[in-house]
Amino acid sequence: MESEVNGILVAAHELKAPLSILRQLAFSLDFADQKETSNIRTEMISVSERAIRQVNDLTKIAHLEDGLFEMEPVSVRAVCDDVIKELTYLFRFNNRDLKVKYSNNSRLVVANRNLLFSVIYNFCLNAVHYSTEETMSRLEISDHYDKVRVKIRDFGPALPMDVWREMKRGWIKCPTSIAMRPGSSGLGLYIATKFSRYMNAEVGAIRHRDGTSFFVDLPISNQARLF
Amino acid sequence: MIYIIEDDLDFAKCIKRYCRDENSKIFSNAIEAMGQIDKDFPNLIFLDILLTGPDGFTFLNELASYSDTSKIPVVVISSLNLKGKDLSDYGVVGVLNKDTLTPKEVENYVKRYSH
Repeated sequence: MESEVNGILVAAHELKAPLSILRQLAFSLDFADQKETSNIRTEMISVSERAIRQVNDLTKIAHLEDGLFEMEPVSVRAVCDDVIKELTYLFRFNNRDLKVKYSNNSRLVVANRNLLFSVIYNFCLNAVHYSTEETMSRLEISDHYDKVRVKIRDFGPALPMDVWREMKRGWIKCPTSIAMRPGSSGLGLYIATKFSRYMNAEVGAIRHRDGTSFFVDLPISNQARLF
Repeated sequence: MIYIIEDDLDFAKCIKRYCRDENSKIFSNAIEAMGQIDKDFPNLIFLDILLTGPDGFTFLNELASYSDTSKIPVVVISSLNLKGKDLSDYGVVGVLNKDTLTPKEVENYVKRYSH
C-alpha cells in the first residue's frame, strides 16, 4: 500500500512539473518579441506533448493486464527513427547531441509498436536529461545472441546500486525519486520496465563510471526470414 | 551578473526572460556554476535545489565556505516545501515556490540585488 501511494505521489509530481513550466511559459509571452513568441509557442507545444505522452503511458499501464496490446513483427529501426524524429526538437533545444548506430542484421522483432516506442522514448528522454553539451548520447541497435538489443548510453551520474539490482531482476517495483539518480523520479524507467515485461523483452542497465546505458533486448521475429 | 542554476532548461529560460536586460547566465548544474564563479562573479544567484549531480544544498555549503562567495545573495527556487526553513546562514535572501512563482517576484529580487 505504501509503495502504491509513493508511486501515485511520484506520478503526480511528474505530471505537475510540465504544468508549472507551461504556466511560466505563458507568463513569458509578456516578455517576448515576435520571434521569441514563436519559440515559446513551440516550447509550449513540446512540453504539453511530452506530458500527454506520459499520461497516455500511465493509462496504458492500467490496461496491460487486459492484454489489449497486440504483439506483431515490428521494424525496430523504424521505431527508433520515429523516436528520434519526435525528440529532435528537444535535443536541439537543450543543445544536446544524439549519435545513432544501427548494426543489427535482424530487422524485425516481436513487440507492440506503441509500447516499444514508449520504452525507447523514455530511455532517450532520460539521456537528454543526463547529457551535457560536451557529451553526446548514443542510441545503438545491435544483434545480441537470439535477441535484438536497443541500447541508449548517457553520461549522467551512475545508477544507484539498488536500482541497478532491480533492473537486473527485470523490473522496478515502484518509481521513487529517493532511490533514483538526482533529478529523476524513475517514472520513465518504471514505465519502460512494465512495457518490456508485457512484450517478453528484457530491460537492463549497465553502470559505467561516467554514466549509464539502458537497454532492452527484444525477441527476433522469424516471420519474414527466408533461411 | 545573475546566475540561474536550474537543470530544466525551459524553466531556466523563463527566469532569464524575467531578468529582462540584466546580464544573466544559465547553468544546468552546480559544478559548472562553481567553475565559472571566479571569471564572472555574480551579484545574485537563482538556485534550484533538486539538481543533476550535487544538489542545491551542497552548492550553498560550498558558497558559504569561501569568504567572498558567502556574501552572494541567493534566491532558492524549488518545488520542495521550504516554508519556515531558515537558510539565511547560507546567504539565502528568499525562497520562491516553482508552482506559484510570478515574474514580478523575480523582478523584485533582480531590482534589489543585481547592482
